[in-house]
Amino acid sequence: MAKQKRDIEINSRADTLPLMGPEVRPWPVTPPPTPEWVMTNVYAKRKAEEFGKFLEDNLHLNFIFDKPEALQGLRVLCNGIWQISRMFAASLLGEQGAEVVYVEPPGGDPLRQLTPFGREEYMLKDNVTGEPCGLDFLHEFRNAKSTTLNLETPEGREIYKSMATVMDVIIEAWPPGYMDSLGIGYRHLSKLNPRLIYCWVGERGQWGPDKDAVSKHGQWTLDPFSGAADSWIHNTGFPPDQCPRGGKGGDVMRSGAWLCSYVCGEQAAVSIMAALFWRDGTSGEGQFIECTAAETLMDILDFDIGWYGFNASIKARTGAWDPNLNQYEWNPCKDGYMMIGGQTDRLWYRIGMCIERELPEFGRLIHEDPLLKEMGARNSLQGLIKTYSITTKWLRDINRIEAEQKLMQYEIAAGPVLYIDEVAEFPHFKYRPWVNTIETEFYGTVMYSESCAAFQHRTPARVKDLGRPLGHDNGEVYQKFLGIGPLKLRELKAKGVI
Amino acid sequence: MDEKEFNKLKVCDFDELPGPKSKEELNEMKMPFEEYCKKAFDVGNEFAKPEALKGIRWMSTTMYIFTPHSVANLAEMGAECIKVEMPRMGDPMRHTSPFNEAYLYPLHDTRPMTGTGYGFLNANVNEYYITLDYHVPESKRVFYDLVKMSDGLTECYRHGTFDRWKQGYRQVAEMNPRFIYVWGGGFGYGPKMFGGSYDILGQAHAGLASITGTHEDFGGHATKCTNWCIDWYSGTQITSCIMAALNWRLKTGLGTMIEFSQVQAATRMCGYTAPLYGKFGIVRQRWGNWDTQLCVHGIIMTGKVDFPDAKNPQDKFESRYVMLSAFQDADFQELCNIIKKPDLFSSYKSHKERVGAPAQIAIYKAIEDWAADKTRSEVVKILKEAGILAEPVLNDREVYESKHFRQRGTVRWNDDPLFGDILIHSGYSSGLMSKTPRRHKWQWRPVGADNVKIYHELLGYPMSKIEELYTKNIL
Repeated sequence: MAKQKRDIEINSRADTLPLMGPEVRPWPVTPPPTPEWVMTNVYAKRKAEEFGKFLEDNLHLNFIFDKPEALQGLRVLCNGIWQISRMFAASLLGEQGAEVVYVEPPGGDPLRQLTPFGREEYMLKDNVTGEPCGLDFLHEFRNAKSTTLNLETPEGREIYKSMATVMDVIIEAWPPGYMDSLGIGYRHLSKLNPRLIYCWVGERGQWGPDKDAVSKHGQWTLDPFSGAADSWIHNTGFPPDQCPRGGKGGDVMRSGAWLCSYVCGEQAAVSIMAALFWRDGTSGEGQFIECTAAETLMDILDFDIGWYGFNASIKARTGAWDPNLNQYEWNPCKDGYMMIGGQTDRLWYRIGMCIERELPEFGRLIHEDPLLKEMGARNSLQGLIKTYSITTKWLRDINRIEAEQKLMQYEIAAGPVLYIDEVAEFPHFKYRPWVNTIETEFYGTVMYSESCAAFQHRTPARVKDLGRPLGHDNGEVYQKFLGIGPLKLRELKAKGVI
Repeated sequence: MDEKEFNKLKVCDFDELPGPKSKEELNEMKMPFEEYCKKAFDVGNEFAKPEALKGIRWMSTTMYIFTPHSVANLAEMGAECIKVEMPRMGDPMRHTSPFNEAYLYPLHDTRPMTGTGYGFLNANVNEYYITLDYHVPESKRVFYDLVKMSDGLTECYRHGTFDRWKQGYRQVAEMNPRFIYVWGGGFGYGPKMFGGSYDILGQAHAGLASITGTHEDFGGHATKCTNWCIDWYSGTQITSCIMAALNWRLKTGLGTMIEFSQVQAATRMCGYTAPLYGKFGIVRQRWGNWDTQLCVHGIIMTGKVDFPDAKNPQDKFESRYVMLSAFQDADFQELCNIIKKPDLFSSYKSHKERVGAPAQIAIYKAIEDWAADKTRSEVVKILKEAGILAEPVLNDREVYESKHFRQRGTVRWNDDPLFGDILIHSGYSSGLMSKTPRRHKWQWRPVGADNVKIYHELLGYPMSKIEELYTKNIL
């Protein structure tokens, strides 16, 4: 409920900016359920009060800062520009307690400049330099320090080499062979620091016939080139017999998120930590790692390429349906899309019982169809079309919330397609909370996606800060690791080395 | 000069001097970078090198894709992983196959005519397959015996089920304080604690679906990211939690409990979506095949296909999409010249101008108009020859035939000990490691195939006891 009424006049987008924001409209708009409510209405109903209390007492986000960090003492250098995969890998390590130092060229990572539709009003200015920073960069720059270094100068390379000797991990994202050509690739640095774990991330690879290319004018290969190379994009989207082709919904489709890069980043973090485990537990040696977005995504491409090997099938796209499971899809309803899932007989008939109450022909046409009785047989294309046509007949007259409430009575895994405003107000998201706000050191209060590794008994991951003005930590980092004092630092800055 | 005298003059050891010390090392420093990478990763000889997680034993009391993948990652890196399934039934994912057509037989020694479907592919590789029915009291002891011999487990039952069955974290931590216990599911503690979850629910609930696909203004719908990608992606994040916990255990000797929710993981990858909403109240929408932050950086459709005479409709009708990227000024100018629209560059000289929504609509239309009488490969060839980044959107056949992935060993045939030749595209592709490479040993084994191996050879149960449990349907 608004506390006061104001007269406002909106003539342009600029007029809308002061109307929003954490100061004007704090998140969450409505408070999340209280622990007492959850205890009575959720845990108690399943006779799980004691277990629920144990989880709340031991895994709750409120206690993360009372516990130690798993990767305390690990030093990570993140060197590169453009690739968000390198940032996600660094975040996963940084959230677990590693000390992460970013190295950017003195001009900064161009990712800092990206903002949706070029709208600078949606960038945040830091309170030191006033430089605007794009939200993708800000959101993924977690618990880290920012330094600058010009690796094209000999002095810059010497500094980089010295840094490599005091680091445990280097995550690198430059075009194939570029660092090596400067004499600071893995084969050079591993001679100086044999314990170094060095991970390159990119789109298709730093070697091989289709390795990452740079355009004639120096532009990099970026996500979603990876998804185009491994059939992921080809297999996503609505087929032209569900929607017309040509930008009208019936084409192959990329993900709205930088999905390929995120998948690459997490596998990079896994590989790095496995290498660390082997180094600290067994061998004492570092190693060279390469993770590409195209291949790490291919790893999780279900059976798609394997299916071609099985019987020369080429997977087609199936929109919001799944060719392996029935029911398992979302379909349009009155105010959006409703997802329904339940493949085993138990769930399959429960879904039907729910729909049948209002649409009796569902039972006759679906449950009594002999071709739909067996679990595997339901997945034929005709089976999907028939089931979903009749399900959508039920859905089209009701809203998402009505459909959800009805399906929940039968304990079916179902839920609406939510937009971010709905996600942020979804009771469970607010309760955990999964989208959260943080008072950052430089950019004010920022809403962010919470670390997924934060819910742990002993060493929960945590987000301490987001974003950093470019080169803000030059003084501290170079003093701490290399003993470079303020005078020398000024000299290096004047020479364009940092 | 005798050796004694010589040693007096020495100030250091030759071996301590920097620089290459042998001819081999000298060559290593001189060889071209690509050669060096090939030598370092040495595709095809993975089994000659050590395994990173040697000695770790992990229990996988999991189903479907999400939690199994968290364990498969460990198994590919050398951990000994034990998949525990329901007797005679197995993981429900075994009964899942695309359009019900690809199976490998048998499912179980009593069910030769039932197979395991390709939906199960790549999710549980290199593991030992045992069975155990947790519902009966006799199985408790067996479960505890496994816990004592293992470093951790991943489970995916409704939250609190294992606790009720006295095999949850609270109980097993008292039996094995080094134990790392992972629960993976949809929601975790809180109002929806008992809500079931799937990959698709994660995509729908977390906001990923709302930003993927063509906007309804263009006629499109919220689109499912293909595959169970959120399942797999969340599973890998569990592995990253496990790896951090294992590293911490090296130092402290203590286990932990990890509660991981896949619905949250899908929100995590949505980038600026949350901060943009939190600060400015803007609800991010779908933007199809284009990029909200870069232009030109998107997928275009060409007028003609590459394989008009092919039999398979995916070749015949779909080989017409190109991923194209020319967002920097010089690249964009070059692109405008190629498509013979130099005025387009004068209208949108700066990136800020061309990344606006109306500009993107005009620019992509101009490019697609130019490509209307060309095939996919013609468009790619013209642009590549001009030094612009462009690649075809490949289908599964083309990925299979790609020389790139073959050379890198990330798509390869494996001689499976049970099923013969199986094409695999997992494991090796999750990352090349020079000293402890991942490896693929076998795809899967029938339900309960390793009962003797684990219960007899590892736990030392007499054969008669295994037989008794088997006849009672406990194994």
